[in-house]
Amino acid sequence: MNLNLNTMKQKLLLIFLLLYACGLYAQHTVTGKITSAEDGSALPGASIVVKGTTQGAVTDVDGQYSINAPDQNDVLIFSFIGFQTEEINIDGRTVIDFSMILSTETLDEVVVTALGISKEKKALGYAVTEVSGADLNQVKESNVINQLSGRVAGVVITQSTSGPGSGSRVVIRGNNSLTGNNQPLYVVDGIPVDNSGFGSAAGSGTANYRRNDYGTGISDINSDDVETITVLKGPNAAALYGSRASNGVILITTKKGSGKKGIGVSLTSNLTFETPMILPQYQNEYGQGKDGNIPADWNEFYTSTGGSWGPRLDGSSQYYYTSENETRPYVAQPDNVEDFFRTGSNFVNTIALDYGGTNSSVRFSYTNTHTNSILPNSDLKRHNFNLRTVASLSDKLSIDAKATYFKQEANQRPSLGTEGIMSYVYYIPRNVDIEDLKDYQNDDLSVKSYQKESTGNPYWILQHDVNHDSRDRFMGFAKVNYEFTDYLKAFVRIGTDRVSQGIESIEQYGHWFYGTGRFSFSTRTTAETNADILLMFDKDFGNFNVAVNAGANKMYQTYESYGISGEDFKIPTKPIVSGANIINTPGYTPLREKKIHSVYGSASLSYSRAVYLDVSGRNDWSSTLPKDNWSYFYPSVSLSFLINEIFGMQNNVLNFSKVRFSWAQVGNDTSPYLLDNAFNLRGTTASYLGLTILTRPGTYYEPIRPEQATSLEGGLELSMLQNRLYADLSVYKINSEDLIMTIPVPAATGYSSFHTNVGKLTNTGLEVLVGGYPVKTNNFTWDISLNLARNKNELVELIEDLETFQFSSTNAGNVVVQATVGGEFGEIWGTEHKKTPAGDIVVDATGRPQASDEKVLLGNYQPDVSGGFWNKFSYQGFSLGVLVDFRIGGEVFSGTDSRLDASGVSKRSLENRDGIVVDGMVNVGSAEEPDYQPNTLQITGQDYWGAMSGIASNYIYSQTNVRLRELTLVYTMPGSVLGSSFVKGFSVGLVGRNLFFIYKDIENFDPESSYSTSNFAQGMLWGNLPTTRSIGFNLNVTF
Amino acid sequence: MKRYSLLFLIFIALGLVSCTSDFEEINKNPNAIVKEEASARYFITDPQYRLFAPDRYPYWRANLIHTDRYAGYFTFGFNGCWWSDELGYSYSSGYTDAAWGWLGGYFGSIDNFLKLTESGGDFENDLMHATGTIIKGLYYQMYTDVFGEIPYTEAGVEGIVTPAYDEQKTIYQGIIDELDAAMMTIGDNTKTGEGIDDLGENDLYFGGDLTKWKKLANSLKLRIALRAYGAPGADFAGTAITEALNAGLFLEDASDNCIMIKDDVISQWSSSAYGDVWHNFGLGSNWHVGQPLVDNLRNNNDPRLEFYAEPAAGGVIDLIRPAEDPGRSLFDKHVAFVTQTLTDAGVAFIETVDGDTVTIDMPANLYYVGQPVRMGGDVYSYIRYEFFSEPAPEIIAKKNSGTNMWDEIIMTTAESYFLRAEAAVKGFSGDAQALYQEGIRYAMRLWNVSDGDIDNFLATEDMALLNGTDEQNLEKVSIQRWLACYTDGFEGWAIARKSGFPSELTQTLTDPEIYGLGDINGVYPERLRYGSNVQTQDPDNYGIVISRQGPDRQDTQLWFAK
Repeated sequence: MNLNLNTMKQKLLLIFLLLYACGLYAQHTVTGKITSAEDGSALPGASIVVKGTTQGAVTDVDGQYSINAPDQNDVLIFSFIGFQTEEINIDGRTVIDFSMILSTETLDEVVVTALGISKEKKALGYAVTEVSGADLNQVKESNVINQLSGRVAGVVITQSTSGPGSGSRVVIRGNNSLTGNNQPLYVVDGIPVDNSGFGSAAGSGTANYRRNDYGTGISDINSDDVETITVLKGPNAAALYGSRASNGVILITTKKGSGKKGIGVSLTSNLTFETPMILPQYQNEYGQGKDGNIPADWNEFYTSTGGSWGPRLDGSSQYYYTSENETRPYVAQPDNVEDFFRTGSNFVNTIALDYGGTNSSVRFSYTNTHTNSILPNSDLKRHNFNLRTVASLSDKLSIDAKATYFKQEANQRPSLGTEGIMSYVYYIPRNVDIEDLKDYQNDDLSVKSYQKESTGNPYWILQHDVNHDSRDRFMGFAKVNYEFTDYLKAFVRIGTDRVSQGIESIEQYGHWFYGTGRFSFSTRTTAETNADILLMFDKDFGNFNVAVNAGANKMYQTYESYGISGEDFKIPTKPIVSGANIINTPGYTPLREKKIHSVYGSASLSYSRAVYLDVSGRNDWSSTLPKDNWSYFYPSVSLSFLINEIFGMQNNVLNFSKVRFSWAQVGNDTSPYLLDNAFNLRGTTASYLGLTILTRPGTYYEPIRPEQATSLEGGLELSMLQNRLYADLSVYKINSEDLIMTIPVPAATGYSSFHTNVGKLTNTGLEVLVGGYPVKTNNFTWDISLNLARNKNELVELIEDLETFQFSSTNAGNVVVQATVGGEFGEIWGTEHKKTPAGDIVVDATGRPQASDEKVLLGNYQPDVSGGFWNKFSYQGFSLGVLVDFRIGGEVFSGTDSRLDASGVSKRSLENRDGIVVDGMVNVGSAEEPDYQPNTLQITGQDYWGAMSGIASNYIYSQTNVRLRELTLVYTMPGSVLGSSFVKGFSVGLVGRNLFFIYKDIENFDPESSYSTSNFAQGMLWGNLPTTRSIGFNLNVTF
Repeated sequence: MKRYSLLFLIFIALGLVSCTSDFEEINKNPNAIVKEEASARYFITDPQYRLFAPDRYPYWRANLIHTDRYAGYFTFGFNGCWWSDELGYSYSSGYTDAAWGWLGGYFGSIDNFLKLTESGGDFENDLMHATGTIIKGLYYQMYTDVFGEIPYTEAGVEGIVTPAYDEQKTIYQGIIDELDAAMMTIGDNTKTGEGIDDLGENDLYFGGDLTKWKKLANSLKLRIALRAYGAPGADFAGTAITEALNAGLFLEDASDNCIMIKDDVISQWSSSAYGDVWHNFGLGSNWHVGQPLVDNLRNNNDPRLEFYAEPAAGGVIDLIRPAEDPGRSLFDKHVAFVTQTLTDAGVAFIETVDGDTVTIDMPANLYYVGQPVRMGGDVYSYIRYEFFSEPAPEIIAKKNSGTNMWDEIIMTTAESYFLRAEAAVKGFSGDAQALYQEGIRYAMRLWNVSDGDIDNFLATEDMALLNGTDEQNLEKVSIQRWLACYTDGFEGWAIARKSGFPSELTQTLTDPEIYGLGDINGVYPERLRYGSNVQTQDPDNYGIVISRQGPDRQDTQLWFAK
């Protein structure tokens, strides 16, 4: 019997397996339409998942769906943001139409929080903003982060105007460190990514001669792979992300396979064209010359008249720089600056393959980007390869793995600054034809330009200032999930991010400043590996829900670099290492390591899904700190109340209301090797007469403690009128104390700086998000939202006796950007007109206005208020998006404007062209005992503007501006039109970015420009590239 | 199974974080040298060369733009030059800050050497410490003479972040005391130690020879005391002069010259030479020798002229009247200024006028003509490169070219004789005439003038004789000392400020149609302004200094020159 029974079992098993297999092959297909219960309108984009599987589908624009279920008795889960999620038994049906009910809790939204754990937004005690990839991808920017501009309250994005591939400065809730980069931690799929900028993008050099921006790490992320971007503001949200999260975290979740059965292919193509959005306003009445004259001698003309200070452009036959023997009609070339630029283009193509099996899904994508800058000869090419696999190995065990390879080649990235390329474009004399400058080289290989000896030629620079960089990046992770029970899960994950950048920079022989040539070749590699383990417990006990997470992390970071530079080429056309007469001591940084080990945990307790309490704690051990201070701990607490639930309010006016409070601390460490006061050994080319020379470093290293930022936040979230109107408010205060910084000190201390724990910096702010659906009908929806943020910071204390921390100063030293104790971060100080005690302008003995001896506070580069205003109109298959963003307050010093005036090309320089007796006083006494008499001397327009351009206060502009940041018109073909053709989805869009300014105060430039992304290059403009306006097309096809 | 998995995970978690054993090891910088690997002698070279041959940034901005020009040695601003000669006279914080940054920042270098070698220091050696103290004296005198009041007594004191600024009087007196202490320490020692404890070749000044260091210290003491002598409240100066003279220990023969040979291959970004500026920026960055220098040499038939400068290139040069005013009506005045300059220099040129064109035909490579200093923008067009003399080739020699490069002057034997002569003229002991002539002899020998020419000059020229009133003799001594300091603008400028000579250099200019009066309205610059960061970084001390010393301007006279 036993045997029979066994046989029976085997047979049954066999039959069962066969049935199961048949079930696999003969799946049950369900179709239907999903509508809104409120008004019966179709709901496009709603998702349908077969419960317990990865199989899913999404409704088309008509709300239609089709899904294969393994079994006719399976359960379908219908969900859509803003509506209640429902589970429906198939019960053998093949058509299921379903009306979804609006959620009474609009903020039922699920968001990704720290540690990558999804949570209902309503449960959070702190502010989180999520932006979907779909919203971002209609208009491509070469840096995905730029697309957040204007979308998230409290996030200020300043793009470096170095053209394609340049970095962006992202500051969330103000600047919390003087020397740190103040930028958020970027986490992609749970793995922190390196965002350091190579070159001087993040450097602390204060000179503004030339700066190159080689981009920062985050621009390597392919926006087509992005599913969502979540902004966790401030330390509250980030207490569990470790030290680096003190400036907030930007979590990027990338796409997985959709889980749809079979192979899906999608093609996305985006082509945009770029033109300068704004160029300086020029005068077209006076040409090359000086003091109203064209020197009678050609040689003198050629050597000493770089400015447009000649006589009126009258069409007469005059000297021209190209040749002693040639004259030209003396006429204006109104477009000579504009004509220098070409139409730039950005062509991004993505192919994504998507495969869904029973228990696994795979997504592969390849994106090719080719960007031509508006500068001739300057371009950028990128290749992103991305492979993602998710597989369930058993009902308990699943794995998730990703590998991304990124390759970027950039040519002739422009340098900014007083010797950057634009400094040889903006100031070209008004009668010089840009075409003539294309003949840029003399027979002896030297630069040929409109002024002998003392200026470069932009075409020479583009051809001969070789600037090439290539960047390789590998990112990947493997994650093993294990579900012990439905309330206890765990994962182990290891992820790595390795980026290597080679930079070749050459100034060819004949260069106007490095006449015998110069080169520099360098390679730098950073890598970071993170190993994580996390246990997650989540269970209901009656009305209580308890969620506990406990984890550990091990981070290992390395950096190495080497480089060689040389000058004075033996063979002028050979900028190679063996061809340099002078080779500088090669630079080599052996592997520099940093480790942080951490344990962390969090616990959430909720009662009746109405009151939520979260606590978290993390302890880090950092190798960069002194042994006694390796270990440091930081906690957080947050509490939120859902008022409606607590008081049982069910009404149609106020659908949802929540108040939240949180308190958090984040500790922070420093970089490797910043503890010892050891000596430096000079390299060969820096050793006088080849002697052994030791020196002590300019920085004195004091024993340090971990730094600490404490944040307090409160918020209110409301949803009203059937969720047609919603609001989200936050107020916060962040105290950053014991900051680890390298503080410049007076040189008479014997050091240039101290590396120590210093001071206190506070940021207080307010963020407001208000939005709603003014119109929502079957066919037409108008979605509107406005976000605003105000941040105010104060440097409360630096180190004893020290009043200021200087970030940068102009070459001429007439402007500095600094933080002042009792004042704010980013103050702009500079000279103003020198005045007599009675308030009259003081001129010098030749009648020229003078700058004040001392600098005064002229402004601050941080905006008072920033924000965005978003409108989306949807009508059937069409949607129109309009994003307006703005900054109010904040100032910027424009060195470019000052030089436009000094060189007599600006429209403004038409004032006082014929000379002026400045209404002022001259000191005929001594410095100690002044005797002021009225000025009677006339000066020329050239002298006047020469003097005015040196007075900083004349060039301070408000950053206040409102611009049409983005306009998109997209048509998505309805499923009814596509029918059952093999094309599953099709959309086409017309997109524009940076279309125009609705308001701005500064005339000649984009007030939001900066010339790099570090703290040390903000608030000043020097030879920036113009911001570009882009207009283009976007095509999406899915098969 | 479940339980084991959990335990396994916890085990992994603990494994992840438990190990911190390599933390100390990985946080050690392999490129840093620790005390055990170092020796004191390796620390003296940096403070020695950086004070006199810093990198190109300050070499260009502090030495060339400011002190060498303010001393009247060099001048800018020929037609086509990148820089106008008004540069500097009109304050530019960018240029001044480079001087401030370098001289201020230099302190850490000498402070380090002194702290390492002081008693209780890592490499305690009182003899090395004495040499460091003497370098500190050289440094502080340069530093305070440029800016005035600077941090001295509280500089480098641990725990003080914003050291107080001291009055010049305090600094001068302090340096003299420190030099006395150094000389006392050296005593009869001839070297700082044996082997690694001997400064040896790492001492760029004297190769570790302490007897020469002591001579330098006493000569420097005399220089400083004479500079203070006569200033308000400088009671200590007379005593110090007498002490120095009585000590009788001076730089006294050619081998005592404290000069530093140039490294002719070192990167310009580590240590610079004039040639790094001259050759690397194109023609527009070149400059001429100043008119006061050339005139003083030529008018006295000084044989050094051909060693200091090159004859002007000359040639046929057209000067054309501009079509528009203001240049048109000023043309005659400007041309007259130029031709008068040539005439004054004894140039036999031919001037022809053809309508609006004035042609000057000047013999090629024959005449030494110094370019007038402080030319204004209006006259530029006529300040042609060909009219004026370049510095001698070895002064502007290019690195890596095999050309001999002119040494850096720290303090010469000639100067020590001139100082003693000056003291004698001022009523202290000594044979003024004999000391003066020895000074001239060593000053000329430094430039390889033949003994025959030197003897001839000493025998025949009125300039070689202190035969006038004390004031006239003082003028001669001052001018000869100033001539001997050629290429050391710091000392040259200080001599001119203290003595007022050469008077054609220190006079106040008034004609804005010819001269660039700058923002000090034509007054001779008396100091440089402080670095622009002082006002904002250390406002308290800055306020104190301004109220005590006077406005932070270039025309505020310093204590020593009062």
